[in-house]
Amino acid sequence: MRWQLLAVFLGSTLRLAVPLMLGATGELVSEMAGVLNMSIEGMMLTAAFAGALGAWATGEPMIGLACGIIAVMPVALLQAFLSVTLRANQVVTGLGINILALGSTTLAYREIFGERSRDLIPGFPQWSPPLLGHIPVFGGAVFQQVWVVYLALALVAVTAWVVRYTAIGLVVRAAGADPRSVDKAGLSIVRVRYGVVLFAGFMSALAGTYLSIGDINTFTEGMTNGAGYLAIAAVIFGNWRVGRAFGACLLFGAATALQFQLPDMGIPLPTALLVMMPYLLAFFAVAGLVGRQTAPVALTVPYRRAA
Amino acid sequence: MSAASESARAPRLWMPSAGVTIPVATVLLTLLFGLVLIALTGVSVGDAIGAFINGAFGSGYVIAASINRSVVYTLVGLGFIVAARANLTNVGGEGQIAVGGIAATAVALYGGVKGLPLGLAFIVPALAATVAGAAWGALAGVLKVKAGTNEVISTLLLTFIGIWLVYWCVESSALLRRPMTTTATLPESLEIANPTRLPLLSGDPSVPLNIGLPVTVILVIAVWVILARSVFGWQLRAIGLNELASRRAGIPRAALVVAAMAIAGGFGGLAGAVMLQGDQYLLKAGFSSGYGFDGLVIGLLARGSAAGVVAGALLFGFLRSGGINMEMVARVPSAIVMVIQGLIVVTLAAMAFWLDRRKVTR
Repeated sequence: MRWQLLAVFLGSTLRLAVPLMLGATGELVSEMAGVLNMSIEGMMLTAAFAGALGAWATGEPMIGLACGIIAVMPVALLQAFLSVTLRANQVVTGLGINILALGSTTLAYREIFGERSRDLIPGFPQWSPPLLGHIPVFGGAVFQQVWVVYLALALVAVTAWVVRYTAIGLVVRAAGADPRSVDKAGLSIVRVRYGVVLFAGFMSALAGTYLSIGDINTFTEGMTNGAGYLAIAAVIFGNWRVGRAFGACLLFGAATALQFQLPDMGIPLPTALLVMMPYLLAFFAVAGLVGRQTAPVALTVPYRRAA
Repeated sequence: MSAASESARAPRLWMPSAGVTIPVATVLLTLLFGLVLIALTGVSVGDAIGAFINGAFGSGYVIAASINRSVVYTLVGLGFIVAARANLTNVGGEGQIAVGGIAATAVALYGGVKGLPLGLAFIVPALAATVAGAAWGALAGVLKVKAGTNEVISTLLLTFIGIWLVYWCVESSALLRRPMTTTATLPESLEIANPTRLPLLSGDPSVPLNIGLPVTVILVIAVWVILARSVFGWQLRAIGLNELASRRAGIPRAALVVAAMAIAGGFGGLAGAVMLQGDQYLLKAGFSSGYGFDGLVIGLLARGSAAGVVAGALLFGFLRSGGINMEMVARVPSAIVMVIQGLIVVTLAAMAFWLDRRKVTR
């Protein structure tokens, strides 16, 4: 019984951490290049809606996924245009886009789904790695997951490698650490930053469609419910490193899983404290209580050529 | 350097003409777009406009309610521009409202202030809220000075912590949750007693303007004077413009950064007190309901001008009131109001580009 509880806990930790991992990895790359992308919350929500809509209309979750990705691209382009080309305040544009996304998805959901909101939306099939799925007790509960979960893990690993070992990674990091030198080297800061914002959009789109047609197979208004902000907190707590941000997402996923499991286990810890914990941890981290923090130097600073 | 060129000029009570016309035109265009959206959802545009006007300006009561909203926005926005003068971005208004609300509730309910004479019954909780907000803001300032933490990040995180602190306070009977009489008792605090509420300006409860309004008017003037005319305002501008030069000039940067963030937070905390003691009278989850984020947007769009803060606050205050009525009476989906608001924020933030460029070339 105790092992079963643990298995369920580990399984739901992974399940709940996946949207954070995808969002945080995209956000991290964007922040590395100097763009604080507050709009991943809105991007996730847009993709969650478009994904659900596509899967519901065609009966094909893969088309839903494609719809999610396509729907996010204009949002990401808008964010990039505002924060890179127009050099607008990144926090305000992000918040604005989030309000816009919440408003338009809610509106479109009511107009399109209306009373049919109880319709079942086809979701992604589950999958488990060949051998791991057969481990007694843990196999089913932990490894039997929607395949997007494994795609997410792979994408995080690939991103970590690209950022660390490739020329692309070097340029991305340099765009956030010393944009002038990137410019002097003849590379376009504007292009790099558009690229990272689009990448963050792509990752948020995966996260969003996972939420609606991977996890609960339905769309609800404002269903991201702060997952985007949690992903930003994970980037901060992870000290702007891919591996640590990944760990932070697992930790935040575990905290969320505990919210559901603690009452069952009869432990009276206030829910609010568990919900607050990720932000509290991230705050302790930036306060320098968990080692030195090194945010990208040019984070939130638009690039301007002439001084 | 947009921030530099902006703050290099003396702050004005009135904005330059293009700084007024461009935002006004943007807002009007966005509202027009909103009307098109409303028509598309099949609601009669005439009904919608009628409901909006009724909800925003229809009676003394709704005008007062809109102005009360604007008061909260103005306070948060004022805090924002004080910090912005030192080139600090206070994203934490929402959290500062939240801790202000907690402090005001706690002191009003359990601080033994109910029987105090001379209005102290409502002044003490409001001051407690201001101090709590100031502490919340100062924390970000201290981190900036001691650990070099970007205040955008720290105030953002403190906001989420503050919002969830409210949840915690009203969820736990050991904190501010009202004693449970039935199993159905909602997670909220007790109502604060009459003497601890902000007194109304007139005896007429159908025009619920409270003392928060004159206090805010005084604070608007005070902020303008301090930023434009005082040594403190000049020093804030100096550390915002050139850290090195201001250090050479012997300006105490660390103290000023903490002070600026504390003032910004104090305004947020006071806004929380005005919301709690002037309107809601009890603390519940989601108490700050986006006022801090809206106030941040207003502060930013005001571009350092106290009058700009007032203008933006009035716009948002009346928009919110009218929008609520449009939903209730004309059945316009509230999501449309959200879409319009999002569009206004995004477009105005984008407009800053042309406003700045105009300034540089001039």
